[in-house]
Amino acid sequence: MATAGLGSGGFSDLREIKKQLLSVAERSRERGLQHSGKWASELAFALEPLPLSELPPPPALTEEDARDLDAYTLAKSYFDLKEYDRAAYFLRGCKSQKAYFLYMYSRYLSGEKKKDDETVDSLGPLEKGQVKNEALRELRVELSKKHKAQELDGFGLYLYGVVLRKLDLVKEAIDVFVEAAHVLPLHWGAWLELCNLITDKEMLKFLSLPDTWMKEFFLAHIYTELQLIEEALQKYQSLIDAGFSKSTYIISQIAVAYHNIRDIDKALSIFNELRKQDPYRIENMDTFSNLLYVRSMKPELSYLAHNLCEIDKYRVETCCVIGNYYSLRSQHEKAALYFQRALKLNPRYLGAWTLMGHEYMEMKNTSAAIQAYRHAIEVNKRDYRAWYGLGQTYEILKMPFYCLYYYRRAHQLRPNDSRMLVALGECYEKLNQLVESKKCYWRAYAVGDVEKMALVKLAKLHEQLNESEQAAQCYIKYIQDIYSCSELVEHVEVSTAFRYLAQYYFKCKLWDEASACAQQCCAFNDTREEGKALLRQILQLRNQGETLSTDIAAPIFLPASLSATNTPTRRVSPLNLSSVTP
Amino acid sequence: MASVHESLYFNPMMTNGVVHANVFGIKDWVTPYKMALLLLLRELVRVSEQLGLLERRRLNRLLLPLLQGPDMPLSRLHKAIEESCPRLARAVHSRLKFIAEGQLKDMEQFFDDVSVLFTRTEPEVHKTSVVGLFLRHMILAYNKLSFSQVYKLFTALQQYVENDEKKTGVDESDMELMNAEELEGKMEKEELDVPLREEEMSCNGPLSQKQAEYFLSQQASLLKNDETKALTPASLQKELNNLLKFNPDFAEAHYLSYLNSLRVQDVFSSTHSLLHYFDRLILTGAESKSNGDEGYGRSLRYAALNLAALHCRFGHYQQAELALQEAIRIAQESNDHVCLQHCLSWLYILEQKIFDSCVLLEHSVTKSFHFGLPYLASLGIQSLVQQRALAGNAANKLMDALKDSDLLHWKHSLSELIDISIAQKTAIWRLYGRSTMALQQAQTLLSMNSLEAVNVGVQQNNTESFAVVLCHLAELHAEQGYFPAASEILKHLKERFPPNSQHAQLWMLFDQKIQFERAMNDGRYHVADSLVAGITALNSIEGVYRKAIVLKAQNQMSEAHKLLQKLLIHCQKIKNTEMVISVLLSIAELYWRSSCHTIALPVLLQALALSREYSLQYLASETVLNLAFSQLILGIPEQALNILHMAIEPVLAHGAVLDKGCAMFLVAKCQVASAASYTPQKKTEALESAILNLNEAKTYFAKVDCKEQLRDVLYFQARLFHTLGKTQERNKCAMLFRQLHQDLPAHGVPLINAFK
Repeated sequence: MATAGLGSGGFSDLREIKKQLLSVAERSRERGLQHSGKWASELAFALEPLPLSELPPPPALTEEDARDLDAYTLAKSYFDLKEYDRAAYFLRGCKSQKAYFLYMYSRYLSGEKKKDDETVDSLGPLEKGQVKNEALRELRVELSKKHKAQELDGFGLYLYGVVLRKLDLVKEAIDVFVEAAHVLPLHWGAWLELCNLITDKEMLKFLSLPDTWMKEFFLAHIYTELQLIEEALQKYQSLIDAGFSKSTYIISQIAVAYHNIRDIDKALSIFNELRKQDPYRIENMDTFSNLLYVRSMKPELSYLAHNLCEIDKYRVETCCVIGNYYSLRSQHEKAALYFQRALKLNPRYLGAWTLMGHEYMEMKNTSAAIQAYRHAIEVNKRDYRAWYGLGQTYEILKMPFYCLYYYRRAHQLRPNDSRMLVALGECYEKLNQLVESKKCYWRAYAVGDVEKMALVKLAKLHEQLNESEQAAQCYIKYIQDIYSCSELVEHVEVSTAFRYLAQYYFKCKLWDEASACAQQCCAFNDTREEGKALLRQILQLRNQGETLSTDIAAPIFLPASLSATNTPTRRVSPLNLSSVTP
Repeated sequence: MASVHESLYFNPMMTNGVVHANVFGIKDWVTPYKMALLLLLRELVRVSEQLGLLERRRLNRLLLPLLQGPDMPLSRLHKAIEESCPRLARAVHSRLKFIAEGQLKDMEQFFDDVSVLFTRTEPEVHKTSVVGLFLRHMILAYNKLSFSQVYKLFTALQQYVENDEKKTGVDESDMELMNAEELEGKMEKEELDVPLREEEMSCNGPLSQKQAEYFLSQQASLLKNDETKALTPASLQKELNNLLKFNPDFAEAHYLSYLNSLRVQDVFSSTHSLLHYFDRLILTGAESKSNGDEGYGRSLRYAALNLAALHCRFGHYQQAELALQEAIRIAQESNDHVCLQHCLSWLYILEQKIFDSCVLLEHSVTKSFHFGLPYLASLGIQSLVQQRALAGNAANKLMDALKDSDLLHWKHSLSELIDISIAQKTAIWRLYGRSTMALQQAQTLLSMNSLEAVNVGVQQNNTESFAVVLCHLAELHAEQGYFPAASEILKHLKERFPPNSQHAQLWMLFDQKIQFERAMNDGRYHVADSLVAGITALNSIEGVYRKAIVLKAQNQMSEAHKLLQKLLIHCQKIKNTEMVISVLLSIAELYWRSSCHTIALPVLLQALALSREYSLQYLASETVLNLAFSQLILGIPEQALNILHMAIEPVLAHGAVLDKGCAMFLVAKCQVASAASYTPQKKTEALESAILNLNEAKTYFAKVDCKEQLRDVLYFQARLFHTLGKTQERNKCAMLFRQLHQDLPAHGVPLINAFK
């Protein structure tokens, strides 16, 4: 194939890359692979335009192509009109690669379309799961023959892989997709399918991938999918540096990555930028709306919803954005309705199930919420938000022991997400399992607490258990955390922390520290009186004890024991909370 | 990012966020198999006049499983009908083939014809009969089909018939010839087809909701009643997964999967299935508000309760307690006394696991009566009786209580509880040492027809009560020296309760105990020692006790004593009186073996007092035997004879054969010893009666094959004959003794000093 030329993985020659992109976009379109064509064209658009002289020539026609040209032209127009069977009929004897691919692809799509039609029209509800694409088996037999004879080009291999995947032959499918990527690295579809099949980092390591610049895109994409956000961001940054700074695809991926690590501000600004460049874009806008929702940015969300609705109201993303909008306005029934609509458009759209669950939770319709979450889990067992939502539902139903199971599942899926850990800790606290609870809070802090509540809760636990020293250390750490944040968010518990610390130092007879803390207390409404009283007491006792001792050791701000262990660990294994519970 | 080729046509059919799996409201739908059944019914009606009585009866019996069971391939259906009536099978087959090879209108015509069966003025089929309902279901389902669905059904029918023909065709035709012709092409195809074919094998068609319900209830009841007849865990799980794949909303399947996981002790998947079941159930609960229950709150409580049960089953008592607390709290909040009652019973069970207390239980029983929960009440009574029996309460009161609860069971037909009650009586009689009564109770249960046997056809025979009774039966037989019978019973137990099942540990323990006893009787101490480890694994206290006995038999007195003292303290702490008395007896035995009879006496008296207090008659008489022996050695044989009269009766009536032999031997010894002071004539009489007693002892020992004891008896008898001057008899005994003595190693303890 003509792809051998792009061997090196570097980005030194952007012009060459652009040429390749343009040509592959054209070839994808000729074969009816719209999505891959779109991706390649989008990327090509981000690069500098080529002068006329350097534009890639239209692919040369072979003898075979010429022979099949009429049939191909006819079939392609049928294909574009979604008359797949008809297209296949006219292509049946064709030998050229292009026509052959279109022939097989039409048969495949025809099978898929029939399958979908029959799902609605099946004999009974229980038969639903049984409807299969009848064409798949035949396609597999024919393609595997060709594959053995090495007669398949990159596109053909891709189609073979898709057929294998649909037959749930994952291992074979992966092999074929890898082969397809070797033969025709420019075809994004093959890479994308590979992304869907790879479930963890180990699998990725053992793949032998072609060493081309496309691999960089693939790696960045799969890192995002596998939640290896830092690596993904690095890759994308290097891609931007290489000259793809204008690519809307990369920008959107970066925004999604930031969303995944909950760096909301950065993600928001990138999305805003993206919308400026590509105002009619609908993809990824659901993620954008999630961000706006989290920040409660009503006007922006409303504007986005209106805008998308004007562009195309029957898109999953649009429905999702509108759902979020209504949810923010506390019109939960309407929100649920829109999420339902999204699901009608695409029942495998996972996010909507979870979001719908949240809406039902808001509406206090716990049973429907449980149902929605369960559906989400059915679609994707690794959806931690659904597990977390189920846990929350049962927590609302006041079943702390029952919800432990669900939170634990969520925690297993995201071992370094503090929210699950805090939720687990709270449940254990309710069950009076303070040891487990402490473990959870401490781990939540160690993995980087988002809501900054773990330490306070931990401190309160220590307080309850009369472990005053540990409690004090936690409060100290908490205060340091709060003040080290550049933006000073109003935190309710700061005053509690200062009050406890003041009393603690007072008990330890560390007058200087005690009075410093007491003074801080005076800055808050709810502790002002206590702070003043304490200050007076300190003053009294100081005057008495002036003569006694002044040589007590220096303040124990940030004791060594705490600072030594507080390095937040990245990527930790799930917490082994209790040996017997699954 | 969503995959490129996603279906956009699928409609999840939701109302109010709840997806209804069964949107059409049809529980059943037409499949080719069902059509074959319809044909069968029609043919049956048509030719019913000409069928013989036997054939008709057979066919009628065949019909129900066919209607309820899962779809089967035509060949199998054909075979099933053929067995009852070959003519009919042929007719059905040819009719089906006719329709399949015809056109769509033939099928339409067929369905029109079927409805005639019950629309005539004098219908052959009643509208409300099982068959009538089936017919009407089918016609309704058929009428609801759209054109494309009808067409699909028709092609499915063609496929159905074709598959059958292909199968028979391949069987008959010459394989070699076909292979030679298109070997290459076919091979390749087959190679590719293998994974797919396997898949097809596993899911032989989806089940309709009715079929699925039938399947689930059948399997569940089998699991409960007779596990060996149910599908194996792996294949059942496969079926369930299959079922869930087609209908994820079928909550009951999750529950069965939970039960199935329990079978193989899989804590992870059982928890998962249980929670999933309740997640699903909550929904159906919310819909059925109309029937009085307050929606899903109810299932929440029971969810927590079931979780507690699960953890309890796996021995996670702390987790179970937490879950139970939760269930109790929710039940209290919603004033659900019935649920609370269940919780209370579970609480009792948990408390029993952690520490003894019966206050809760009494409370539970009275409350259960109050809320009209006979099941829980008598379960409570039974637990209470068990506890009281172990705590040494008056036997008559306990039996009264059991009788009262039995009345309750029979009134409410709680057959399961009747079984438990009888098993419990067996155990209590055994505890009291009345083996004949125990035997009688055990036989009662085994020969009693369970109440449910009438309608299900399977006896409830893998419940715990059956296991208990059978184990006791085995042990009783072994005690009487019927070892083949005992091993027969154990073999049966092994079949009925396969080693991985829940109650298997019971028979394992009894099996090892019986083997241990046999090994001890034969004097094969090393074998007995090797069995100790197994016993310890199943029951640690029993294991330690047996270890001590082995040590004692091997003359390692100080080790045995140390072990027994430790065990005594432990058993006193956990109030295991039965074991305490046994241990005391063993300690006493150690003392008199070391010739410290004076020290043994107080220990024996303590044992006697305890066994009297707890009315453990058998242990009491054994203690008396020991006591009499000590008295004999201490030189007061008259006194010994006096108290022996007290014990000999119960021993002969209820004792194990070995004990009977020992008792008779002892009596003879005492008689001889006390005869020393008699007048010569009286003395001869006494010695002769002693010889008779010794004869009896000999037969007992022979039964259990106790060579050592046999040797001792022979020696003693020879001496007696010698004293009486009966040379011939003496020589005979002496010869027998000589034979045995050559086989056996010399005993460490002087002959006269040994009692056991």
